[in-house]
Amino acid sequence: MNQFQLQQGTSKELERFPHMIEFALKRINTLQLDEFYQEAPDLVRVYYIVEGKFEWQVQEQNYTLYPGDVLLVLPRQKLTGQERILNVGTLCWLKIKVTNSSNKPTISQWSGITHPDMQRIWYILNTQPGRSTMKLKDAGALFNAIYVELINREIGHHARINAMLAELFIQFTRNIMKQGTSTRDFPQIFLKLDQALRHDLSHQWTVEEMAAIADMGTTTFTEKVKNYSGFSPLNYLINIRVSEAIKQLKKCDANVTEIALSTGFYSSQHFATTFKKLTGYTPSQFRKKNLSE
Amino acid sequence: MNCIITIEMGTNAVRIFAFKIDGTLIDSAKGHYPTFHDEQDYSEQDPEQMFITMLYVLKNLLIEKIHPQKYRVDSICFSASMHSLLAVDKKGVPIGNAITWADNRGKKEATDLKNSALGKEIYSLTGTPIHPMSPLVKIAWIRTNLPDRFKKTWKFLSIKSYIIQQLTGEYLVDQSIASATGLFNIHDLQWEQKSLDYAGINIDKLPALCEVFFSDLKLRKEYLNTLKLDTGTRIIVGSSDGCMATLGAGIWDGDKATITIEDSGALRVVSDKPIHDEKQRLFNYVLTNQHIISGGPTNNGGLIFDWFNSQFGDSKTGFNMDLAAEGLIEEATEVPAGSNGALFLPYLLGERAPIWDANARGVYFGLNIRHERKHLVRATLEGIIYGIYNIGQSMKAHRNIESLSLNGSFATIPFCAQMISDIFNKPVGIISERNSVGKGAFLLSAINMGIYKDIDEAAKSVTLPVDYKPNKQNHKIYNQYFKVFERLSVKLADEFEAIAALQQENAS
Repeated sequence: MNQFQLQQGTSKELERFPHMIEFALKRINTLQLDEFYQEAPDLVRVYYIVEGKFEWQVQEQNYTLYPGDVLLVLPRQKLTGQERILNVGTLCWLKIKVTNSSNKPTISQWSGITHPDMQRIWYILNTQPGRSTMKLKDAGALFNAIYVELINREIGHHARINAMLAELFIQFTRNIMKQGTSTRDFPQIFLKLDQALRHDLSHQWTVEEMAAIADMGTTTFTEKVKNYSGFSPLNYLINIRVSEAIKQLKKCDANVTEIALSTGFYSSQHFATTFKKLTGYTPSQFRKKNLSE
Repeated sequence: MNCIITIEMGTNAVRIFAFKIDGTLIDSAKGHYPTFHDEQDYSEQDPEQMFITMLYVLKNLLIEKIHPQKYRVDSICFSASMHSLLAVDKKGVPIGNAITWADNRGKKEATDLKNSALGKEIYSLTGTPIHPMSPLVKIAWIRTNLPDRFKKTWKFLSIKSYIIQQLTGEYLVDQSIASATGLFNIHDLQWEQKSLDYAGINIDKLPALCEVFFSDLKLRKEYLNTLKLDTGTRIIVGSSDGCMATLGAGIWDGDKATITIEDSGALRVVSDKPIHDEKQRLFNYVLTNQHIISGGPTNNGGLIFDWFNSQFGDSKTGFNMDLAAEGLIEEATEVPAGSNGALFLPYLLGERAPIWDANARGVYFGLNIRHERKHLVRATLEGIIYGIYNIGQSMKAHRNIESLSLNGSFATIPFCAQMISDIFNKPVGIISERNSVGKGAFLLSAINMGIYKDIDEAAKSVTLPVDYKPNKQNHKIYNQYFKVFERLSVKLADEFEAIAALQQENAS
C-alpha cells in the first residue's frame, strides 16, 4: 500500500462516513520529539504496525509494538511515545468517532452491533489493562480492504466499509476474551480452588472469597470458571455439596440435618429444596431408595 | 419436533449435545469434574460428582433450551471414555472413586502379565493391549493391594454403567466399553473366562452385556419428573468415546484411517475383523460384531507442543498460548522438511502405541553447531507426527491405508495437516465436525430411529473432502529421518528405564 492520509472535512472519500475522522498509512522517517501526546475524548484510535518497532505508553503502561500488532486506544486514554518519542517505521491508523448515548459511548448507529453487545465490548476493553495490544493476524488485510473500498467507491462500498470497521472491533474484543479465558493456564488454578472448597465445605463461601483463591477479580473469575467448568462458581460449589451429601446419605447413619450442615447448606430445609430440585428426590426418599436396592 | 440428546462422559467433563433429527446442532452444554492424583500414578474421579454434574447439565439444557423450543426428546444416547473401573457394593454404593484410563498403578501387574504366555493369549482373545489402563489389570491390582475392597465388591463397573444404573436401576455394559476392559472376548462377544480367572473374579462380578443399540431401559420416575421427559424417550446405552469419534468421522472403508491429535492422539481403522498383532501393539474395540475399530493410542500429542510453547514460546505481548503457538509455527516454516537433521523423540509422557514403554522420555537428537532455535521448533512438530506415523507403520502389516482423515485441535493446524500428509505420503482430509463423539452418538441414535438403515449408511452421511496432498520430495526426506527415529525409539529402551528410575528416585 502507498502512503495516504484521509481526513474528515477535507477528504471527499470520508464524506459519507462521518464517524471516520482520520484514516492514514504513513512511513515515519525521522524521530519526532514531543509531537505525540493525545487524549481524545470522543475518539477510538486503532493503530496497526506495518514495519518497525514502536515503544509507546497507554495510560502510563509501556507497550512495545512489532509488525502485525494492533493497538486500540479508548476515548480519554492517554497515548504517548515513551520519552515522548514516536519511533521510526510504518504504521496505519484509524480514528473513529464514538457518540454518547446516556453517558455510554457507542458505535451502534452504523456498525449494527447491538447495544448490549456494545456495552460488553466497552466493558471488556476497559477492564483488561495491559491487553489493549496484540497480534491481530487479519488486521492488515482488513485495513487494506477498507482503503480499497474507500478509493474505488463501488456499489455497496458504504455497507462493506462499515461492516469491516465493526469486524475490527469484534475481532479485537474476541481476541481479548480468548486471552482472558485461555483454558490452557486455568486448570491448575481451578484444581486449587476445587481443593480449597472441598477442604472446607461447610464454610459459607462467597464468590469474593473464591476469586481471592484464584487471585482474580470477581468478574473475570466468574467468567473464567464458567468457561472452563460450565458452571458459575456458586453452582459448581452446589455440585460438590450435593455429591458429598449423596455419599453421606448412602453411607453413614448421620441424620439429614447433620449431613446438610456438614456439606454447607444453611439448614435441612435448604438442603432438601436444593436436592429435590436437582435430583427429583428429597434426601430421605433418596436414602430410602438406596436402602431398598 | 423431535430431537436427539447425546451425553459424553469424557475425561475432564460431561458434554451434552442436542441435535435436530436432520443432524443439525440445536444446543450444547458441558460440566467439568476434577481428577484426583492422590499418589503418583493415581488418577481417580468421584462417581457421585460425575453423576450429579451430568444430571445438572442435562437438566439445565432441557429446561432452559430444549423444552422452551417445544422439542420432544426422542432419545438420549450415552458415550464415555474407555477403561474406567468402579467397584460398588451390594447396594450399588461406590467403594472408593472411579479409576480412570490414565491411572498407572498397575504397572507391575501389567508388565508381568504382558511378558507371560497367558498375557499373549489374553491379548489375542480380548484385543486390548495389556497395560495399566486396562480394567483387567486394575482388578488384579485391587485384589493384591486392597483385599478388603476386593472382597466387598459386588460388581466392577465402568463409569458409564454406574451412570446408567443410577438413572434406570439396571447394571449394564455395552460391547464397546466391555471390549476395552481386557475381560471381553472380541471374537465370540462374551466375557472371557481366561481373563476372569486371571483377575480372580467370576462372571457375576461384571454387569450384563448388551449391544450399543440397546434401549430397553426406563428412567426412574423421579428423573422423568425432574427432567420433564415423557416415558417414550428412549435411553440408548451407546458406545465408547473412541468408537463414537470414529463413527462420527465417517471412516468405514478398510483403506482409510482416522488420525485424532488433541492433547494425546490415536490412529484408527475400521473393518469387520480384529487385527492380531504379534507384538501386541494395537487395540481392537468392538462397535458391533461387524465393525471393529483397531488402532493405537499415543500419549504425546498437542500436550507436547503446549509444553514446548510454554517453555520457549514468545511472550512479548503478554503471554498468550495461542498467539505464541502461531509464532512458533511461523518459525517452523522457515526450516526445510527434516529440520536439517534435528530429530525429536516426543515421549515426555512415556508412550503407548507402538512402543508401549511407560519409561520412554523426550530426546533431541542429531544436533550440530548449525542448528538454530527454529530447527528445534520444527523438529518438535515433526517428532510428534513421527510418533503417530510409527503407529501407522505398525499397522502396515495388517491394513493398507490409502487416505487419512484428521480431527483434533493439533492435527488440524494447517501446517501439521500438511506435514501428516507428507510424512504418511497420503492425501489428507480435515473432518469439519468439531465434535465427532457427539456426532457419532447422534448417528447411532438415528440408526435406532430408522433414519439410516445401518451403520454403514449412517457413516456414509459424513462427507470428507481432500484438503492436502503429499509432497513426494518432502516424504522422501521425512522417511529417511523417520528410520532413525524408529530405531532410536527402541534402541534407547534400557537408557529410558535407567533415567526414569533416577527421575523417580530423585523426585522431590
